[in-house]
Amino acid sequence: MDPKAHVLERYHAKVFKNRKEHILRIDHAEEAQTITANTRTIPGIITNRGCCYAGCKGVVLGPLKDVAVITHGPIGCGFYSWGTRRNKAAPDEEGKNFTQYCFSTDMQEPDIVFGGDKKLRAAIDEVYSLFSPGSIMICSTCPVGLIGDDIHAVAAEAEKKYGIPVVAYSCEGYKGVSQSAGHHIANNGLMKRIIGADDAPPATKYSINLLGEYNIGGDGWEVERILKRCGYEIVSIFTGDGSWKKIARSHMANLNIVQCHRSINYVAEMMKEKYGVDWLKVNFIGVAAVADSLRRMAKYFGDAELSRRTEEVIADESAAIAGEMDSCKTKLDGKTAALFVGGSRAHHYMHLLAELGVRTVLTGHEFGHRDDYEGRKVLPFIKEDADNKNIEHLHVEPDQKKYRAFLSQEEYGRLKAEIGLEDYAGMIRDMENGSYVVDDLNHFETEQFLKCLQPDIFFSGIKDKYMLQKAGVLSRQLHSYDYSGPYAGYTGAIRFGHDVIMGLYTPAWRFVTPPWRNISSLEGSFGGDI
Amino acid sequence: MNANIVNLTTNPCKMCMPMGAVTAFYGIRKCMSILHGSQGCSTYIRRHMATHYNEPVDIASSSLTEEGTVFGGTKNLLKGLANLIKLYEPEVIGVSTTCLAETIGEDVDAIIKSFYAATPGCAVKIINVAAAGYGGTQFEGYFRALHATVSQTQMDATPHNGVNVITGPISPADTRALKALLASTGIASVLLPDLSQNLDGIHAETYKRLPGGGTPLSAVSAMAGAHATLELSPFCPDEYSPGAYLEATYGVPLTRLALPVGLRDTDAFLAALVDLGAVIPQSVGEERGRYLDAMVDSHKYNAAARAAIFGEPDFVHSLTRFACENGIIPVLAAAGTRSPRLADALKDEMAAAAERQFVEEYDIVDGADFERIDAYVEKNRANILIGNSDARRIAEKRHLPLVRRAFPIHDRVGGQRRRMLLYEGSLSLLDEIANAMLAHTEETFRGALFHDLCHDGQKKKNARTKDADGLAGCGERSLSVTTAARGAARKNAARTATHPCFSYGACKTAARIHLPVAYGCNIGCRYCLRKYDCPNESRPGVSSILLSPEEAFGRFKAAREMFSHLMVVGIAGPGDALANFSRTESTLRMIREYDPDITFCLSTNGLMLPVHASRLLELGVSHVTVTINAVDPAIGAKIYRFVNFMGTRHEGETAAAILLANQLSGLKFLTGNGVVCKVNIVLLKGVNDHHIERVVATARSLGASLTNIMRLIPVPGSDFACLPPVSNGELTKIRGICEKHLSQMRHCKHCRADAAGLLDHDESIVFRTGEQKKIPARPPRARLECAEAPKNGAAP
Repeated sequence: MDPKAHVLERYHAKVFKNRKEHILRIDHAEEAQTITANTRTIPGIITNRGCCYAGCKGVVLGPLKDVAVITHGPIGCGFYSWGTRRNKAAPDEEGKNFTQYCFSTDMQEPDIVFGGDKKLRAAIDEVYSLFSPGSIMICSTCPVGLIGDDIHAVAAEAEKKYGIPVVAYSCEGYKGVSQSAGHHIANNGLMKRIIGADDAPPATKYSINLLGEYNIGGDGWEVERILKRCGYEIVSIFTGDGSWKKIARSHMANLNIVQCHRSINYVAEMMKEKYGVDWLKVNFIGVAAVADSLRRMAKYFGDAELSRRTEEVIADESAAIAGEMDSCKTKLDGKTAALFVGGSRAHHYMHLLAELGVRTVLTGHEFGHRDDYEGRKVLPFIKEDADNKNIEHLHVEPDQKKYRAFLSQEEYGRLKAEIGLEDYAGMIRDMENGSYVVDDLNHFETEQFLKCLQPDIFFSGIKDKYMLQKAGVLSRQLHSYDYSGPYAGYTGAIRFGHDVIMGLYTPAWRFVTPPWRNISSLEGSFGGDI
Repeated sequence: MNANIVNLTTNPCKMCMPMGAVTAFYGIRKCMSILHGSQGCSTYIRRHMATHYNEPVDIASSSLTEEGTVFGGTKNLLKGLANLIKLYEPEVIGVSTTCLAETIGEDVDAIIKSFYAATPGCAVKIINVAAAGYGGTQFEGYFRALHATVSQTQMDATPHNGVNVITGPISPADTRALKALLASTGIASVLLPDLSQNLDGIHAETYKRLPGGGTPLSAVSAMAGAHATLELSPFCPDEYSPGAYLEATYGVPLTRLALPVGLRDTDAFLAALVDLGAVIPQSVGEERGRYLDAMVDSHKYNAAARAAIFGEPDFVHSLTRFACENGIIPVLAAAGTRSPRLADALKDEMAAAAERQFVEEYDIVDGADFERIDAYVEKNRANILIGNSDARRIAEKRHLPLVRRAFPIHDRVGGQRRRMLLYEGSLSLLDEIANAMLAHTEETFRGALFHDLCHDGQKKKNARTKDADGLAGCGERSLSVTTAARGAARKNAARTATHPCFSYGACKTAARIHLPVAYGCNIGCRYCLRKYDCPNESRPGVSSILLSPEEAFGRFKAAREMFSHLMVVGIAGPGDALANFSRTESTLRMIREYDPDITFCLSTNGLMLPVHASRLLELGVSHVTVTINAVDPAIGAKIYRFVNFMGTRHEGETAAAILLANQLSGLKFLTGNGVVCKVNIVLLKGVNDHHIERVVATARSLGASLTNIMRLIPVPGSDFACLPPVSNGELTKIRGICEKHLSQMRHCKHCRADAAGLLDHDESIVFRTGEQKKIPARPPRARLECAEAPKNGAAP
């Protein structure tokens, strides 16, 4: 049976109708295939999606090392988002690094009944007196929005009192349909309150911001190493090993490069609008993808010396790992993979897998939007629904004083198409004919697809890892890298190859059937029902 | 620790109610959980449980959105239930609310009723539990779910002889052990919940979406007719105690017991089972014996343990009692949950344990976060942590071992298989604690020994040396010293009192003789020139003659006749004592046989110390002077023209680095073995004058007893002949600065290599007679070899 039909057949009619729009068999002969995405999760189907708070606090704000992020709510939310993503951070110049901390107001029943703002106010005082952070951010959880604590007023008051930025985010878990809403809210807060606060100019012309890099397993550090070798000055990183102080001057950089489009494209767009900073979608996962990204960046700056250095770095770094990549490929050639991650990684890792000889038979995003699948060309055609409308869409205008364009109009016109400025073509374009793309793949569908497509490796996360492995399929976590990484850049590519080989070839898989099972062919019970 | 911090929780030691509720439901057969709220709750909890148990953890969500918060979540929960049943075919569904559902006031009872109404023939038992995250922790959520299970299940009160055993959250491996024990005692029992399989599944040929383990609802139903209930949770809240419910509603007598951890509480549990008709198998008695045996065997390691125990109140209570019975001092018992009863339950026990081992500070706290736990760890000087893996940050910061038990364990595999229950579980826990203590000792005691006995021990010797000099002792704490070095150090320090160079007090009364047997040198110092001999000139490197070992022995005998106060034999060149080691060695050996008491002293540039130092100890050399002019190869390179080491000539910084490394390691070795060492430093203006203090500080750190900062004697023809002279004032000043590191020798007379008599009164002239040979300016290689050939014996 057709895999899609096989997966859908067990559903109730309503669910069937809903889910069939989220599953697509790639056929490039068909013109502009579309998919439904960023819509409500079906209740009771075990989704891998998280909540708005997870996207705001867990993903975007959590990695800021010099910010004390207070979770305003009951203890669970703070606890569960404490050290769960492996966003590495080195202490800042003052030796501060709050990424190992969890701060919470631990709301109790009386706080729900009588309001929690008093407790929040006191908690801010306490966090300031204990840790004197350079900035405090407050993330609210479900009950806060319902009982109506005015966290923004509390933040404004604290900001006045302590003279540091105190920013509140209304990222209650129920908002939107997934983490994605939280990303957007976090982006808005950074845009409104942090970006543009410090006009200290970068030291060089080749100044960039690295957007959507969360330094999982040290990915960001490998990317930084390569960029610095080429001669770039990294003004700020959003937000892995990131610092609000650096983000405050990010508008002074000459280019934004975007790794994770889904979580940070709002900042990229708004900075273009308000400060004139161009943005370029890049990908530092996979050897060819890194080279392509570096070359497009060099073209943007249009400098012969930079291009020469870029080519030198590409040649040098690729040569250093070429032998290892070939060795890895001998063990992986012909294998197949499924990729189901957040909103960008599935696309990024397809390239690296292909370089290692692995075909991708299924991909999907937990919380991607249509533009992540089909490219930004569909943006004008995406219909706003009630859930999207609830997330503030920040309107920005060019800043009279700070707006500056790095490229002349003529240069911009030429380069926009050539290097893909302000564009992302989406994942589907790069997928093979006959492969599947599934939005918000759930637990049940994962199991069904396993049976039909029988991939050798399934890349996803901890929540389905053990189900996959119990079903006999290797699972590697692409959210946390299973305590490995970095996988980005050049050294990351071979580490990734080795990790996959290690998993596929571990002897345990061979011992599933016990020897005595091959001897006995009789099954039954003696003496009737026991 | 700031007692005023009451509104901020930093690094929590607790989770929320839904976490506990879904954990309990995992122990019910064919049960699926759905959380009524926003989907993040399920996702976060799945993620945390999967990481701990290494198992699929499937928890559904009603995925409420903003619309649900306005219009209610009925529609979502109804859809959720239908989908869950369609796809997973569970027999039981546990619906737990969350903060969101509780805050908007969802009537889950009514929703479930309407679900049944709309789904005729539905055989799935739906149990609902109110589990607002702000209403309690996972500990309360767990018992609420169990309470809901017994109170919402259709009970069958037909009396039977079975026993209900209800546990708090325990690991699947402990649950299996408990089940096996109950099965072996001959009484029928129902274990609620039963996490033994569903959260520690097997790898099989086929994967089943709905795991088959857990307590069947039919068994839950029979709990109402049981003979008795044992509830292994002293801190279970009364209003949610399943045992109390069964007692109140169906009259099943309830006995509350501690978790059977450790000897006493396992004994009590087994005694309670025996009272209910159980027969304890002999094998269990043997397990008890083995555990007791281990308690005796490992008590000495455990007695060193000062444990901080933290987590859920049942866990903290049991582990603290376990610690006390094993002589582990629980300096902190901290519950993450509010548990006012904890202190009452533990205070006598902990007071007794503390009193037994003279510990004054220990605390029992509840509602503690890890920031507070850390403060107590520091205050009460805990040296081992016992609890969940969230204390790993404290462990890392304070370099403490963390024995991982309870939930969650996220930084190690096998959280689901950690044991602590019954005798065998206690035994594995005890071994782990003892081994953590042992591992710490094994990894650190050699360093500690070195530090205490060799390094700090040397400082102690310095103090003695100063005392012998009539200087004030430096008042350092006395250390217990136990090795051969102690004896050597004591004897050598005593000798210092009669050494004219090392003790100012002795320089007026004690005589010494320098025997010029060592003529060759292996380094080239730019200030040194050894080719002159003038009887009127006195400086290091100068000697009128070169003696063979036998001649030197002869001169020693003559000197001993002549000077009644001869205390010290020194070899100070005219080259380097160690560059001519066979000559030095045979000289000293002959003298030692003749005079077992005389003090041996030696002066060297240190290059060959790593090679010969241990021989020096055997020869009984008690005092050594090493000339170290720089502890930075860059500076050394300016001072040394070359270094000739092991047959290779090195120049520049390489040469200086080799020399320095050998000097430092040699010095450390000597001081570590009780040899009293002095470091000579030649003050070279513009070369090392800014660097002297560092040399002195380094000498001190390596255990030297004093330093001698010497004025350069400019020798015409040497490279440093034209360095500016150093005034007395300058020398005094620099010695004054360095005094704070190490005592300074201020009575140096820059003696010749053939000096004899008192420091102030050189009488070496009397030995310079015609029959002795002049020192060759540069001895030809062949003669050097000849001279050193021990069998030949004849000096050139």
